[in-house]
Amino acid sequence: MKQTIRLRVNGDTYEVAVPPWRTLNEVLREDLRLTGTKRGCGDGDCGACTVLLDGRSVTSCLMLAVEAVGHEVTTVEGLATARDALHPVQAEFIAAGAIQCGYCTPGMELSAAYLLSRNPSPTDDEIRRGLSGNLCRCTGYQKIFEAVRRASDRLKGAAPPDAAAGDPAAGGPAGGDPSGGGARP
Amino acid sequence: MQYHRPTTLAEALRLVAEPGARVLAGGTDLVLRMRDGRERPDALVSLGRVAELAGVTLGAGSVRLGARTTLAELVEHEELGRLFPALLEAARVFGSMLVRNLATVGGNLCNASPCSDLAPPLIALGARVELASREARRELPLGDFFVGPRETRLAPGELLTAVVLDRPGPRDRSAFLKHTRVTVDLALVNVAVALELDRGKVARVRAVAGAVGPTPLRLLGIEALVAGQALGPELLAEVGRRAGDEVKPISDVRASAEYRRMLTGVLCKRALATAAAAEVS
Ligand SMILES: Cc1cc2nc3c(=O)[nH]c(=O)nc-3n(C[C@H](O)[C@H](O)[C@H](O)COP(=O)(O)OP(=O)(O)OC[C@H]3O[C@@H](n4cnc5c(N)ncnc54)[C@H](O)[C@@H]3O)c2cc1C
Ligand code: FES
Ligand code: FES
Repeated sequence: MKQTIRLRVNGDTYEVAVPPWRTLNEVLREDLRLTGTKRGCGDGDCGACTVLLDGRSVTSCLMLAVEAVGHEVTTVEGLATARDALHPVQAEFIAAGAIQCGYCTPGMELSAAYLLSRNPSPTDDEIRRGLSGNLCRCTGYQKIFEAVRRASDRLKGAAPPDAAAGDPAAGGPAGGDPSGGGARP
Repeated sequence: MQYHRPTTLAEALRLVAEPGARVLAGGTDLVLRMRDGRERPDALVSLGRVAELAGVTLGAGSVRLGARTTLAELVEHEELGRLFPALLEAARVFGSMLVRNLATVGGNLCNASPCSDLAPPLIALGARVELASREARRELPLGDFFVGPRETRLAPGELLTAVVLDRPGPRDRSAFLKHTRVTVDLALVNVAVALELDRGKVARVRAVAGAVGPTPLRLLGIEALVAGQALGPELLAEVGRRAGDEVKPISDVRASAEYRRMLTGVLCKRALATAAAAEVS
């Protein structure tokens, strides 16, 4: 039985008719066409489907879309607040070379943004633990950890070690496509 | 399938009493089971809006964990971890951040998985569960709640509303240890202990092991062994040798029964040592 629900995603309101068993992941991708949110395992193990719900990171594959009613959903498409500038986490992922195939990137960036929102100065161990629900098959993680350290520095207002490398990304070629699709090696 | 989102406990209890209704909390277990067709409810009753079931309440003599308190809320709570170190540690190593932001205390217990990470520390800490139906309310020691894998004493139409813990005394300590292959994984074995130390000796103790039987198991022989004793190196070594005899593990893809017995001994010994050295306040 379908019911019409109102979802708030990235500040926009969508009205969609969904059966209650559809996951938030399916509705975001298939009904709202917000395909920046990926689907990997569908089991809660890989984190490719990560979104923020009222600012908290969750796996959208384990959540029914109807459960998101009344909450604010943020996907990678809404991570950058301005249209032509990337979120510092996104800019540093590009600058650090933390993206290879890009499939894990949206989820990884949202988890990193969430981690930094709670803990602006995470230790290396806290970064690893904070991202332990997001798997990457390509990068070996080191560049991802580096990107998070740099984003932490940048968000705290300090210039990252080599600030110059971080800047071209902002408003650069990937500016219109923060999902990481424009940043293949 | 119908979907209901009650805002009061009374409404939730009325909906849960309908035949074919299923409670939905964090969904980290139920959504997967529905997707695989292992579960086909006629109606889902979401707890997400029921205020009575939310959050941690610190009372004068007891602490109440509302059923829909998430694992993340347990970790972030300012005082809970100081009162109940075993509970904090179990919540800290539970799943990933993404799962902790969804999974709830009530869902974890009602799921009754033999490898639950919350059941052993809560049983060791002497927790009670509050159960409610449209007709009645009752309280059970959590140790009596589990019947078998995925089976509890919850009656049809009954909800778990809260977990209640007594506030620890000044000499109470607790610890939890979990062994996994990788960071985000279900326990091969987990062990929780809670004890009262009186002038260096164990005045009262509960030791519980998970993932080594159909339900979490009290290690009664170990409790008898250490009662009244100081936890010195020889006694702890004896704990390490004997704890494995008290459990009934199976061999599966994660580990052999023999390895699980050995791990039970090691974790039990270390948990007792950790608790004995740890200050509660
Ligand atoms: C990637 C991943 C990692 C995990 N890691 C761990 C781990 O490290 N340790 C661990 O112990 N578990 C782990 N789990 C299992 C799972 O997250 C937990 O069992 C979780 O706590 C279930 O809670 P929930 O709120 O999501 O329950 P739901 O899925 O909503 O419900 C579970 C069951 O309980 C019933 N139920 C829920 N609340 C109530 C209530 N108040 N009254 C009556 N019935 C109720 C539901 O009807 C359902 O049958 C993991 C799961 C995933 C997907
Ligand atoms: S797709 Fe959701 S965790 Fe893998
Ligand atoms: S999975 Fe390919 S970049 Fe992470």
